[in-house]
Amino acid sequence: MSDERDKLIAEVVEKALRGDMDEINNIEDRVTRSKAKAALAKAKRAQTADSPHQIEASDTGESTAPNTLSGNPNQKVGERISEKFPDSRDGEVADTHIQLKPDQWNEIATWLKTEEDLLFDSLQCITGMDLGENVLEARYNLHSMKHRNAIEIRIAVSREIAQIPSIEQVWRIGDWFERETYDMYGIRFTGHRDLRRILLPEDWEGWPLRKDYEVQETYHGIMVPKVKEGWE
Amino acid sequence: MVLNIGPQHPSTHGVLRLQVKTDGEIISEIKPFIGYLHRCFEKHCENVTYEQVIPFTDRCDYLASMANNFGYVVAMEELMEIKVPERVEYIRVIMAELQRIASHLLALGTFGLDVGAFTPFLYMFRDRERILDMFEMTCGARLLYNYMWVGGLSHDLPIGFVESAFRFLDYFEPKIEEYNNILTYNKIFIERTADVGVMPADVAISYGVSGPNLRGSGVKWDIRKDEPYSIYDRFDFDVPVGIGEKGNLGDCWDRFNVRLTEMGESIKILRQALTQIPKNGDVHQTIPKKIRPPKGSIYKRTETPRGDLGFYIISDGSPIPNRLKMRSPAFTALSVLDEIGRGWMLSDVIAILGSLDIVLGEIDR
Amino acid sequence: MSEWRKLPDMGLLENKFNDNVIVAKLDKLISWSRSTSPWFFQFGLACCAIEMMAAAASRYDLMRLGMIPRSSPRQADVMIVAGTVTMKMALRVKKLYEQMANPKYVVAMGSCATSGGPYWQHGYHVLKGVDIVVPVDVYVPGCPPRPEALIEGILKLQEQILEERPLTRKTG
Repeated sequence: MSDERDKLIAEVVEKALRGDMDEINNIEDRVTRSKAKAALAKAKRAQTADSPHQIEASDTGESTAPNTLSGNPNQKVGERISEKFPDSRDGEVADTHIQLKPDQWNEIATWLKTEEDLLFDSLQCITGMDLGENVLEARYNLHSMKHRNAIEIRIAVSREIAQIPSIEQVWRIGDWFERETYDMYGIRFTGHRDLRRILLPEDWEGWPLRKDYEVQETYHGIMVPKVKEGWE
Repeated sequence: MVLNIGPQHPSTHGVLRLQVKTDGEIISEIKPFIGYLHRCFEKHCENVTYEQVIPFTDRCDYLASMANNFGYVVAMEELMEIKVPERVEYIRVIMAELQRIASHLLALGTFGLDVGAFTPFLYMFRDRERILDMFEMTCGARLLYNYMWVGGLSHDLPIGFVESAFRFLDYFEPKIEEYNNILTYNKIFIERTADVGVMPADVAISYGVSGPNLRGSGVKWDIRKDEPYSIYDRFDFDVPVGIGEKGNLGDCWDRFNVRLTEMGESIKILRQALTQIPKNGDVHQTIPKKIRPPKGSIYKRTETPRGDLGFYIISDGSPIPNRLKMRSPAFTALSVLDEIGRGWMLSDVIAILGSLDIVLGEIDR
Repeated sequence: MSEWRKLPDMGLLENKFNDNVIVAKLDKLISWSRSTSPWFFQFGLACCAIEMMAAAASRYDLMRLGMIPRSSPRQADVMIVAGTVTMKMALRVKKLYEQMANPKYVVAMGSCATSGGPYWQHGYHVLKGVDIVVPVDVYVPGCPPRPEALIEGILKLQEQILEERPLTRKTG
């Protein structure tokens, strides 16, 4: 029986390679259909050198395209951002990070992700930070899977107006990372479709990781701080 | 219909709440609610010294504590520019790879339990107990070790560790074949998991998924090979990638198979490390008396059994960290559940959740 | 240790039957049967849950004590709270405890459930001990406690249950 199945799979893969996908989609048995689709994917990969599925890291660790950011990626990307988006950089220029103003962050993010020789398609981490003196900061660590570059972008806002444009549509993991930063620091990400607390309960008061956080006394009648008598 | 898969449920992944909107039996939306195990890890790190952070990192991903310790210690040593002796490096790699095998055994065992197979769970726990015996022989603890310190280790290997490790490897290597026979190529298991929860590679990268979940979708990315840390560049091992053998590329079966094959690769690394380990060396030699890193920040990633663990440490020159953020791989793995879980039936969602291998302690910190 | 192992004094019926008949108080019979098959409600929250799973697996077998894991509170007698209880979870712990049917017992496993554990000092979201919301019968210390320690805790619980007199009217 499996011989017949193999023959059927070979036929439909042949037809699909010529462009006719109806035969594959009409196979009723789910296992056979999935086997045929897997065989089709393998055949396509064998035909063409690069396909979207195989974002392979080659064994020597270098990408096939020339790496324009070798050396100090933060510095080079910072210069390119200054050229393309004037007046978006903030503060002094440093080697280890790129300091930006919050206004054009969404456009810059889209450009960073789609630009050919940058391709920063992986947002590694968003870290919130309380710098004291009324300044909160969000730090983004970006990484490019193809070119193997890593940069860090910092955006500082004041405590009263803590608002940064949201980039959750650019990198989908930004959704949860931004909710976590909002939960811990109170930085509002404008344009986020569902900004609410993620780790703490919805009715918790305060932003815990700020340096001036005071723990609330009770939560639904339960004492929050360590209060058992006779300790210490 | 809105269904609540509540914070307490028999799938042993921890306290997770899924609010699921269904249309008959087919799911139309999944909303995970986390935070039931939020233990304020980052607030603690801002109030204790750098050495005292290590037991807290243990408890975040409690199934792979050695790997958490390793990630933190590697980041700190790069920040402080400490070079540890050779023997310490080898012991760390040995412990990390043994921990990888133990963690994968538990992940696969509980995945089998979710799908309905009880026997592989017991078999895998039996083998895991032997690894925990070896850890107990070294540092006294079964689950949370506090073993890797900044600049060294807490205890040296006991006499007889290398021989018993070789005995364990000889015992364990044929077991992978046994697991393949019981579970991987089992017809019912294939029906339950092949073609279910397909995660395309670009979705995986956009959601920040890493580790075996990403490799199951065909992307060959492993921090041990691509951004090597410690002495991983001296070992010869392969990185298994899913190829869509039993269904579409990136389904639950692929992720399961990647984890199983990775255990075989860990055995290879262990054999090489156990033969090459230098016989002499003091593990306490380069431990600094007082840890005061220079001012600055660092972001360092290491490969745990679940994916890329990232530590972002900001130091201001004092013995207490200014900010320590732990970027956990299971956090990103859970966020992709909504995307890949739509359109499946309820029991398939449980299988997808099992294949993502999440640990709530790491997600909630 | 446990007095039910000694045959009770049967008075007039002594030596009248072969050793097939035992006469005892109904109280003791009920508390004996309750203590030797406590079905536990697997409430694993954090790291201690892994040790609870290891205790239920093949090396340290919990089933030989008569304990079977149940996932529904209605079918369980003992609730083993294994792991840190947070504020968000504390309300649910209370609800689940109230859903269990009498007689019910609680074992607080691990130092987090006993008193907040390593998170007692700066943990704003951690409940410092599960006995703030539910009454606890046995505390098992350790971080995490070894499976043998959990088994000792269960044996202590069994002794406690044996001493109960469920049919005796309590005055005062």
